[in-house]
Amino acid sequence: MSTPTSCPACGEALAEGAAFCEACGSKVTATVDAPAAAGVDVSSEPAPFDELGSGPISAPTRITPLTGSPGQQGPGAPSDRPCLACGAEVDGDGYCTSCGTKQPSERDHFRETPASWVAGVCDRGIVHAGNEDAMALLADEPAGSRAVLVVLDGVSSSIDSDVASLAGARAARETLRTPLPRGMGTDQGRDAAVAAAFAHTIEAANGAIVATTAADSDSPASATFSVAVVEGNRLSVANIGDSRVYWVPDVGETLQVTVDDSAAQQLMEAGMDRDAAENGPQGHAITRWLGRDAPDLTPRVAALDLAGPGWVLNCSDGLWNYISEPSAITEQVRAVEATGATAPLDVALGLTAYANACGGRDNITVTLARIDAPAPATGQNPVPTNEID
Amino acid sequence: MAEFTASVFQNEYLPDGGTDVNAIVTVTCAGAGTAGQTGGGAAGEIIIVDTSGSMGPQTMAAAKQAATAALNEIVDGTWFAVIAGSDRAMLAYPAVSSGPGLVQMSAQTRSQAQQAVSRFVGSGGTAISTWLDLAGQLFGSVPQVTQRHAILLTDGENRERDDTFEAAIARATGYFQCDCRGAGTDWQVDEIRRISQALLGTVDIIPEPAQMETQFREMMRTSMSRGVAEAQLRVWSPQGAQVLFVRQVSPTVEDLTDRRVVINPLTGGYPTGAWSDESRDYHVAVRVAAKAIGQEQLAARVMLAVGDDVLAQALVKATWSGNSELTAKIDQQVAHYTGQTELAAMIQEGLAAKASGDEATATTKLGRAVQLAAETGNDEATSKLKKVVDVQNEREGTVRLKAAINKADEMALDTASTKTTRIKK
Repeated sequence: MSTPTSCPACGEALAEGAAFCEACGSKVTATVDAPAAAGVDVSSEPAPFDELGSGPISAPTRITPLTGSPGQQGPGAPSDRPCLACGAEVDGDGYCTSCGTKQPSERDHFRETPASWVAGVCDRGIVHAGNEDAMALLADEPAGSRAVLVVLDGVSSSIDSDVASLAGARAARETLRTPLPRGMGTDQGRDAAVAAAFAHTIEAANGAIVATTAADSDSPASATFSVAVVEGNRLSVANIGDSRVYWVPDVGETLQVTVDDSAAQQLMEAGMDRDAAENGPQGHAITRWLGRDAPDLTPRVAALDLAGPGWVLNCSDGLWNYISEPSAITEQVRAVEATGATAPLDVALGLTAYANACGGRDNITVTLARIDAPAPATGQNPVPTNEID
Repeated sequence: MAEFTASVFQNEYLPDGGTDVNAIVTVTCAGAGTAGQTGGGAAGEIIIVDTSGSMGPQTMAAAKQAATAALNEIVDGTWFAVIAGSDRAMLAYPAVSSGPGLVQMSAQTRSQAQQAVSRFVGSGGTAISTWLDLAGQLFGSVPQVTQRHAILLTDGENRERDDTFEAAIARATGYFQCDCRGAGTDWQVDEIRRISQALLGTVDIIPEPAQMETQFREMMRTSMSRGVAEAQLRVWSPQGAQVLFVRQVSPTVEDLTDRRVVINPLTGGYPTGAWSDESRDYHVAVRVAAKAIGQEQLAARVMLAVGDDVLAQALVKATWSGNSELTAKIDQQVAHYTGQTELAAMIQEGLAAKASGDEATATTKLGRAVQLAAETGNDEATSKLKKVVDVQNEREGTVRLKAAINKADEMALDTASTKTTRIKK
């Protein structure tokens, strides 16, 4: 067994002894175990779908076979999901019965639609071998009441980032099941209380990530973090790293609500223009992240009162790499809407498809909340039910 | 119940823009049982012996002995008949003129059939179409016979119009299987190979009468060990893809591409005939639309079906990669059988060129054959080639045609041209 000198998936040169490709995140050792000329006994191939339901997320591997059809192998056990490429039926072994496209595992492509006005898509993209992005969504009816969009972008060069990022996203979501605090009435008080709540959220996310990291790992899992909480017309955000929240109003200019923790952001703050900074040699280096080796866990927190209809977009760099300028975001959202997409899931799928059409060089996560008529959230601070005014 | 397994050998990595996927699929059958004994219908065997006037006394005596030996190998209960063929086909046994034309093997029928064989006398010409047609009619007269196999022995050239001969082969194709043997050197390899290829059988030369008995016994023994009456190779390919070819490449090269029948819009079926406990290799090539680097898709499902049941399948994949170290490799098995297929073609084309007097082409092609036989380790082909050409440089494929070639050696090279060797592990 020898370590290859270039990546099996994308061909990039590898550092000696590298376990992962720096360019696309492929596991390098995998190719050694599967020489191209080896005979494959079909009957022993595991089903390609990973179990992703309510089971323990911290499991170190992702090879649990689909349990829906026990004992069934090979043909004749069609999957429930239609082919993501052409819509035809998918066979039990994960290939489309019409176009042959290998279906992504549940981890490589998943969708959430917690309410009619909120949806997200988390997709492997094209170049990466796995999906280290993750998302976790929460929303109530009616539309515009309350939504939580959590996005984590696992760092490809560390081990088990895919498991860690999903665990982190779900842990963060759990802390946000109750409304954000409103403080004692003053804006300052509220900001401090919200910052404290988000600090708790990040602590939970980080805890989940660290819990999935092997104690002796010399490449501990790490991830970016961004969260958007919509409560009526109030958008509150927190982030560490370079996943971003944008406000995309139906009329007017898109606003990037979060500020990246990245080398590019530092260069921009020092006066370099966005294009040069983001496409420079350090364009994708993040300066802060979650994980065992996180430098510090204080998020950047911001809030915005939404004045008209539009989209709250929380996304990973797999999308914004191609449309970083707010104006480009506006343009692309309008382009997707022009195809007739109005439901949040359809718009999210449209934006994901756009990023894949641009090359899909990174994992892509697109989460959206549709705001039609922003109005102040009803009710006051969360009130225990047994308390009487 | 027979069990089939399938395994695939391929390099699934395609370069950017790559479209052609090649794979070798090995299909193995175990637990086949005995012909006609596995509950899937009865087996039928017909022995067809050339009794034309060209059969010399020595050959005729040997043919009688061989047919007798073959009858000994037919398992009791198997339906059978013996045909004596000349410019028309005679039902030598059973002695019936209507009704079922096959009888079941027993001690009594075996002895009666052997007596009938012993009365063979050579006279008349050679019209093989009539032999094939009578065999087809006899099989058809016993409906419970679902596994149909014949052995055909001839010693001379077919004296019929080509279209008559072709039409009879076409009628028999897909209905019964036929192994063919040529006695001596006065028959045409090309002609008899047309029968054996269409009827999923083998062809070989029996240069000396003394070898006939052994060959017949083995042919019949093999046939009786085929407990799976009929199996079909099925190839699914994706919407928009093109199946470039489907070939059996081991134990012999047989191009099945044109024998495709439609199973459904994306799946074609190819005949493989009856199976014993054995292993066969198939080379499948599919052209798919190129996808982006990093994409993976299924390029083909290669399945083995008995009746409507798919008993084994192998997945042929395509993954586009930017890593030239991965994409440049040709799978060893694919390379090996590509070479062996070319070897068969070079031998046949070389001998055809030699027969037409084009010695330059014959020398080039047989030279290439010598080179390929050495490269792919086909020692049998090498030794047969060396009886026809003097090898000057094996590695470069330079040869000279032998001044005097034994006709039987040349025919043996021709009939064995499609035999392949497996890759040396």
